[in-house]
Amino acid sequence: MSRPGFVLEVDERTPALLMHEGEGFRLEKLPLGSRVVYPPESLPGLRDLDAHIREALLHPLGCEPLPELLHAGMRLTIVFDDLSIPLPQMKTPDIRQRIIEQVLEMAAAAGVDDVELIAGNALHRRMTPAELKRTVGERVFRSFFPHHLRNHDAEDRANLTEIGTTKHGEVVEINKRAATSDLIVYVNVTLTAMSGGPKSVSVGLASYRSLKHHHNVHTLRHSRSFNDPPNSAMHHSYNRMAGVLDEHVKIFQIETSVNNDTFPTQLGFLNKREWEWTLKDQAAYLAVKRANDLTPIKQRRQIWHRTAAPYGITSVTAGAPGPVHEVTMGHVLRQQLTEVNGPSDIGIWGLPYICPYNVNSIMNPILMMSLGLGYFFNLYRGQPLVRPGGVAIYYHPVRNEFHPVHHPSYIDFYEEVLAETTDPVAIETKYEEQFATDPWYIHLYRNSYAYHGVHPLYMWYWGAHALEHLGQVIVVGGDRRTSERMGFRAASTLGDALEMAKEKVGGSPTITYQHTPPLSMADVR
Amino acid sequence: MDAGREGVTVTPDGQQGPLGGGHVLLTGATGFLGQAVLERLLRDWPDTRVSLLIRGRGSSTGADRLAGLLRKPVFAELRKAMGNDAFAEAVRQRVNVVDARLGSSDVVLPDDLTVVIHGASTVSFDEPIDEAFNTNVRGVKDLYEAVRAAGSAPHVVHVSTAYVAGARKGTVPETSLDHDADWRTELASAQRSREQVEQDSRRPAALRRALETARAEHGKSGPQSVAQAAERSRAEWVDKQLVDYGRLRAQSLGWPDVYTLTKALGERVAEEELTGVLPLSVVRPAIVESALRHPYPGWIDGFKMADPLIIAYGRGILPEFPGLPDGVLDVIPVDIVVNAILAAADTPPPVDAPAYYHVGSGARNPLTFRAMHENIREYFTDHPMPDGGRGQIKVPVWDFPGARRVERLLRNGERALSVAQRALLVAPANSRTRRWQDDLKREQDRLDFLRKYAELYGVYTEAEVIYTDNRLLALHRSLPPERQDEFGFDPAIIDWPHYLQKVHCPTITATMRRATSGRRSGAHALPAVTESTDGQLVAVFDLEGTIVASNVIETYLWARLADLPRGDWAAELVDLARRMPRYLSAERRDRAEFLRRFVRRYAGANEAALARLVQERIGDALLRRARPEAIRQIRKHRAAGHRTVLITGTVDVLVQPLSVLFDEVVASRLHTRDGVYSGFLEAPPLTGEARAAWLRRYAGTAGVDLTRSYAYGDSYSDRPLLEAVGHPVAVNPDPQLYRHAKSRQWPVAQWTAHTLPAGDAMVETLA
Repeated sequence: MSRPGFVLEVDERTPALLMHEGEGFRLEKLPLGSRVVYPPESLPGLRDLDAHIREALLHPLGCEPLPELLHAGMRLTIVFDDLSIPLPQMKTPDIRQRIIEQVLEMAAAAGVDDVELIAGNALHRRMTPAELKRTVGERVFRSFFPHHLRNHDAEDRANLTEIGTTKHGEVVEINKRAATSDLIVYVNVTLTAMSGGPKSVSVGLASYRSLKHHHNVHTLRHSRSFNDPPNSAMHHSYNRMAGVLDEHVKIFQIETSVNNDTFPTQLGFLNKREWEWTLKDQAAYLAVKRANDLTPIKQRRQIWHRTAAPYGITSVTAGAPGPVHEVTMGHVLRQQLTEVNGPSDIGIWGLPYICPYNVNSIMNPILMMSLGLGYFFNLYRGQPLVRPGGVAIYYHPVRNEFHPVHHPSYIDFYEEVLAETTDPVAIETKYEEQFATDPWYIHLYRNSYAYHGVHPLYMWYWGAHALEHLGQVIVVGGDRRTSERMGFRAASTLGDALEMAKEKVGGSPTITYQHTPPLSMADVR
Repeated sequence: MDAGREGVTVTPDGQQGPLGGGHVLLTGATGFLGQAVLERLLRDWPDTRVSLLIRGRGSSTGADRLAGLLRKPVFAELRKAMGNDAFAEAVRQRVNVVDARLGSSDVVLPDDLTVVIHGASTVSFDEPIDEAFNTNVRGVKDLYEAVRAAGSAPHVVHVSTAYVAGARKGTVPETSLDHDADWRTELASAQRSREQVEQDSRRPAALRRALETARAEHGKSGPQSVAQAAERSRAEWVDKQLVDYGRLRAQSLGWPDVYTLTKALGERVAEEELTGVLPLSVVRPAIVESALRHPYPGWIDGFKMADPLIIAYGRGILPEFPGLPDGVLDVIPVDIVVNAILAAADTPPPVDAPAYYHVGSGARNPLTFRAMHENIREYFTDHPMPDGGRGQIKVPVWDFPGARRVERLLRNGERALSVAQRALLVAPANSRTRRWQDDLKREQDRLDFLRKYAELYGVYTEAEVIYTDNRLLALHRSLPPERQDEFGFDPAIIDWPHYLQKVHCPTITATMRRATSGRRSGAHALPAVTESTDGQLVAVFDLEGTIVASNVIETYLWARLADLPRGDWAAELVDLARRMPRYLSAERRDRAEFLRRFVRRYAGANEAALARLVQERIGDALLRRARPEAIRQIRKHRAAGHRTVLITGTVDVLVQPLSVLFDEVVASRLHTRDGVYSGFLEAPPLTGEARAAWLRRYAGTAGVDLTRSYAYGDSYSDRPLLEAVGHPVAVNPDPQLYRHAKSRQWPVAQWTAHTLPAGDAMVETLA
């Protein structure tokens, strides 16, 4: 039986605690009285996964079993989550491969010929052939690539269809092949409470025209948090769009959730609570830390990105998107939610080497911002871990590094836009259209492996709620100039950071450290 | 009656000299001393008319130059006192310009002259011999002949220099010079020397040497650049030879430099032309520096002899100097000299006994080199020069080690520098070598400066000579006592610490203080990208090294290795490595030759297959090696409505991924036979001067204004292309281009951020 999440209060006996910082980590002694939020221990994964998948497909929630939806002569489109989830990538075979193989078997049995597989990458970069192969498996890749296994192209006007408009005037425009199919089978991995459900098709297959209705500063400032759908303006918009989709397309949703086995056994200590580290764990920590620090940054990055997570699958649920997602959410929260008693003056997060948009790539400063102030800050339900006007302290090197192929518009955003302003509203008003419609960025998004031109702005919006809420952002170990460009302050040690925070929160602040990854979500009462 | 005339006594001494109510011919009025003399005449001799011998220069006439002259700061006080209109009116009534070239027969001087003040001369110590003689010897002869021909009998004041006494020790009296150099022989020989040197410079051996040097340095840029460089170095050689002719001839006759030699011979000309005919006074000032009081304390026009040294010292780049601590630096403020000239002018000697006056401080109020150094050091200690936002410059303390040791120091420094510079020219181009180059350039400037001043001024700073000024003092004392204060010229009144620290140094450092604040950050900003929708502007980019960090060989490797099974990689790499020396030596000689040689490797490749490979795999490799700053700049030009052009030696199919950024792509085309590359080029590759020629033709047909257009290149071979436009930018330049860009003050861009290193790009491409 896994133990639930809990909040530790740091006292004299508390050892130094693990803190991620980019492609590395450190042990940090927190001030006495600090609270530390730990997620529940990793839940056991399902055994005989293939049987569970089959069971889910044959006994779906809220609709007919999959075989009954398949018939000869139909158009079937299988859409799957792209490489932005899960993080880190899971060990092969990927759960998506296992599900797609079974769906394809059933389709073959029903005599379906017209099958297409599409990665639901929205405005993310295209997945490379190798990445596609890793996700869907060798067999499927060989049979379908390149003509029937593709990335969604949100700028291919000829292959987009406007489905309709919500009562709020939001345009729903998605991939034409999917929209004109008799059935969309969506294969999902729900890593956090924000993903899956109504988001899958309405976002994964959408275009900029459609995405701009919920990916904007106003919506994000009113999504508190975006990991808590009932209180997320963003999810309200998704729901409205899903409603429009429901009337026009038939979606068979297959959702899965993963447990908290984020790091492989040789890095087992990263999954454990520090005071329970065995001698072996401590030795491993020392050895890995030393080796990691000695490795040049590029190689270090490669090693981390090659390290796959041995996730256990905690649920496989299929059927109508609504009921399916409800079940999945239950599993996700069971794994991640920890109750916390009220916010504190200071929140601390250690930011790891990866976020959804730098798989096999470089975590640039903009992505650091979006991971820290977007994803991690929003890992709450109820109210933020930090009180309004409080201080967020992050651990990350924030190097001025960008991947020239994956993030070209990020570089320009950093050099040209952030040099002028860091205010999300000002950025949205003045620059969004320009970045979104720039022909060169569109060219790179479609033909190379670049994120869409508007994507860095979305990343900045992602942190809009935190920027508005917080009084100050301090990055421990951050590059001074880069941090400053983004409106943050850099500190070399936690002591310095707390000293800086004094201006905002005084000399004896309350502190909460959200210990993640593995992912934890704070239920702040 | 104009305002300026009121309340001014007609003559300072009360007697009727030739100045009051007379007509003065002034030469050299645009010079430092001339301006001051003119100002004094306009202010204090209201009944005196002035004719200025000012030659038109370029498109501006003598009158234009007068108008410019009257706007100078020297007249500011007078203008203010009189009011602008009254000043203009006084000038109109009293000043007349004679715009003519001396020596030509059409010089007609006014026939009512009472005084001639000949202040025109070249003051540069290292003039080519023919030019120095033309101005300082023949100019004197031509002027005095014209004066004699004009018909009046003016008093001639010949402005010379104290240093005409030549290199000697001890006291020098105020008399005619004692030497037997014959000015006619020297003048004739000086005038012939240019022809001889020009002849010498055209001998085949000399030209061959010049061409070889030019080819080694500029070969990459193309034959026209080589020719230009060779011709330039020939012209420089001629000038240098003529300077040497001058200095050495002067030294062989007993003068330190061609300036003092020609001034001495000029005096002889004056004596021969005028003795027994017209009264002649020779005024010999020492080192003329800023004004003590008049027209205002510290007035100076440009830098004078000692000033570069003072500035250099203040900037901390003069660690030592070959002066004698007890040597006398004979400095004299300009207003004292002006007063002396005018007093002399008003006191004509008998026609058969010319008068001589030394105007200096050495005899009665000597300033030793040590005292000078102390004063200046004190000044810069109290008022240090800013160090470009990095605090202030600390000035060194001189030890006066003597000329020999300074010379040795200099020689060693120069030798080490020359070796380092040559080494850097073949070093790889990166920001570190460019920084080293900058450091060396600074060091070079410093050494050049020291060398120049040590050589030129050595004599002056090591002078152990005193110019007596008894006659000048007598002239001063002949002024009525009440006028001595305002119009006197006794150097004893100078309080050196006050003059140097409160008057002179603040003036000459003022402009430098403005100029140096904010220096060091030095990198020239990129030219502004101006909006233009008429299609007249073009931005031309070189590819390799400018937009992408990769080169022809790297691109080839992507294509080749991506196509080959891994087992065959080793063989390909070994073959490439084996041929590399040949490729490199071809590249060093001529880029086109290298390209021709290298594209042979594509022989046998399939055209369609290569195109597919580029689309699927190699395209991103190029983007991995692209410089985001370059792409941003291209896009800025596009957004501003400019046409963008890519010129590259790379094979066209390989640059495909970047082609959407350009309106025009000029790349090498490979010749194909039945869809297979033959290994030959379709047309000669565009390199070096061919690029500039292509651009000019393109501009001609497309109606492009090149003077407002932009070009970006990284290699010295791009020089002709860069020179073809009005806004050239050197991007991560190689050492030769960097040196050239610096000398032309072209912007230098360092675009290196966020480009993947070659190895990483290769791994990601082939993975």
